[in-house]
Amino acid sequence: MYRSTSSARLWRIVGLTALAATLLLLGGFVYALQDMLNPRLPAPAEATKPSPEASQPGLAEAAEVNVVAIGDSLTKGTGDATGEGYVRQVVNGLSDLWDKPVKLLNNLAVAGMRTDQLLEKLKRDSGYRYAIRQANLILLTIGGNDLFQHAQSGAEEEGDVIDPQRLERMLPGALKRFEEVLSLLNRLNPNATVVYVGLYNPFYDLMEMRDGSLQVQQWNERAYALIHRYPQMQMIPTFDLFESRIGDYLSPDHFHPNHDGYAQIAARIMQSLK
Amino acid sequence: MNEMLPLIQNETLKIWKKKRFFVIVLILVVLIPVFTYAQLTVSRNNAEKFKDWRSQMIQQIADYQNTLASDRIPEEWKRYRRVAIQQLQYYLERDINPNAPNAVTFTRGFMNNAVTMFIPLMVLAIASDLVSGERSSGTIKMLLTRPVRRWKILFSKLVALTLYVSLIVVTTALLCYLISGLVFGYDGWTMPVFTGFQINGSEVDSTFVHAVPQWQFMIMQAGLVWFSAMTVAMLALMVSVLVRSTAASIVTMMAAVIAGSILANMSSSWETAKYVFSVNLQLTNYLDGTPPPIEGMSLVFSLAVLAVWAAAALVVSFGVFTKQDILN
Repeated sequence: MYRSTSSARLWRIVGLTALAATLLLLGGFVYALQDMLNPRLPAPAEATKPSPEASQPGLAEAAEVNVVAIGDSLTKGTGDATGEGYVRQVVNGLSDLWDKPVKLLNNLAVAGMRTDQLLEKLKRDSGYRYAIRQANLILLTIGGNDLFQHAQSGAEEEGDVIDPQRLERMLPGALKRFEEVLSLLNRLNPNATVVYVGLYNPFYDLMEMRDGSLQVQQWNERAYALIHRYPQMQMIPTFDLFESRIGDYLSPDHFHPNHDGYAQIAARIMQSLK
Repeated sequence: MNEMLPLIQNETLKIWKKKRFFVIVLILVVLIPVFTYAQLTVSRNNAEKFKDWRSQMIQQIADYQNTLASDRIPEEWKRYRRVAIQQLQYYLERDINPNAPNAVTFTRGFMNNAVTMFIPLMVLAIASDLVSGERSSGTIKMLLTRPVRRWKILFSKLVALTLYVSLIVVTTALLCYLISGLVFGYDGWTMPVFTGFQINGSEVDSTFVHAVPQWQFMIMQAGLVWFSAMTVAMLALMVSVLVRSTAASIVTMMAAVIAGSILANMSSSWETAKYVFSVNLQLTNYLDGTPPPIEGMSLVFSLAVLAVWAAAALVVSFGVFTKQDILN
């Protein structure tokens, strides 16, 4: 075994460093096991709520426009091959139109969302509530899935999917929840401008479902009455876009708008915001 | 014992003189800046798109919820997403950013990703030719003709290997911290991190969740990484005893490690895969509450699987090494 002073020194350095590292890691391992295998109940930790931000100034006074979009697949942009949907197009359009910066904070829409689910989110989900407090422009679509969810999934029995009686039955409950959604939005952020995009009948071109439009209009009319209570909220009609030009504006799923359809919705929103 | 220490010293210095450890350090010094840069691009991108980390997390939750709403996403993926959503919400409700960009967070993330492949590969660089290298160079005869029991020789190699595994784990973390700190800043030691999520199916039980400062989390994480690395090291030692050529020994172990990480990604339907050692390497999952790749795996299960493999490897190594004929 060869021994020179230099290799003895090297051994001391390497050996001791490695030994220290081993002990540290061994300690960490034991600590990790102890922490995970004998969990102790933590001291009743208070959920430190995100500090309630001062609510944002309204759209007119604000130095920058913060957009938050909530709702269902229409807000998500389903059907738009470019992925923009009306939300992005509104944000892009407004930043060209106005000289202040327009920023999309969050698009929280989830495909298939119904009024009851949105209500649940607004009541309990701190993330949703935080995002809404940050906004001064809120874009909203909801209600379509309450009325049409059957029609969308069970397309094989098209005869009774838009059963007028069924729609009639759904309407009061859905409107009640819609009313609650609006009042919650108003409570969370009374200064933000809320734009609600009205419903259209995606089956207008199917002869036997053309009458669904009457129910849709009932929804639109009563939704308008609810929105009318709040001066900072407005409703954008879309039903007429999807009647005679339904082939141009609907995506192949025959339910959601395509890119051009969303562009029309976006154009209307911008017209009314100007 | 008096004859053990010089043997260990000899083995440790032999590994050092082979300059493998320098190669490992060199690899780290080259690769970590690459990952740091990638992370920097991601954070810059996010800073541009989102107002603050809350918006970003809220959006992430919404995106996950959209994948949950889709029928095309396989059920196993949804399980991960559901768990992730609940954890993100837990952080959000407590107003703590789990991904605050700093060197400690980066190091934590790096170690988490390195435990299944990167660290094992570096361990293999040292472990794979411990015995087979001596055989191909012929020095094994010198070693075995000395008046020392064979098991002592192998044991000294095992101790030296353990020392180097520890050095690798600590050096990786240290270099990661030092290099990424240049960009992200050197703080973050006391940032709270939640641990103790218990996962049942896709439900997260947060009864035992508690916050630990990030430095404590790092020490726990490093300890778990070390345990995984030691298992790989012992298996590599066994292969190195069994196989004559170093190249074959490295390839065998690499194949096993890589197979494990592939299996972990795709085999949630093949339950028996959970007994493969390399599927169990990601012990850090249990610490931060990521669901294990296969249902039925738990910390105790994974530790047991790894320990059994490691123990079996040691039995085979010592059994073969002490009996084996040394031919040319």
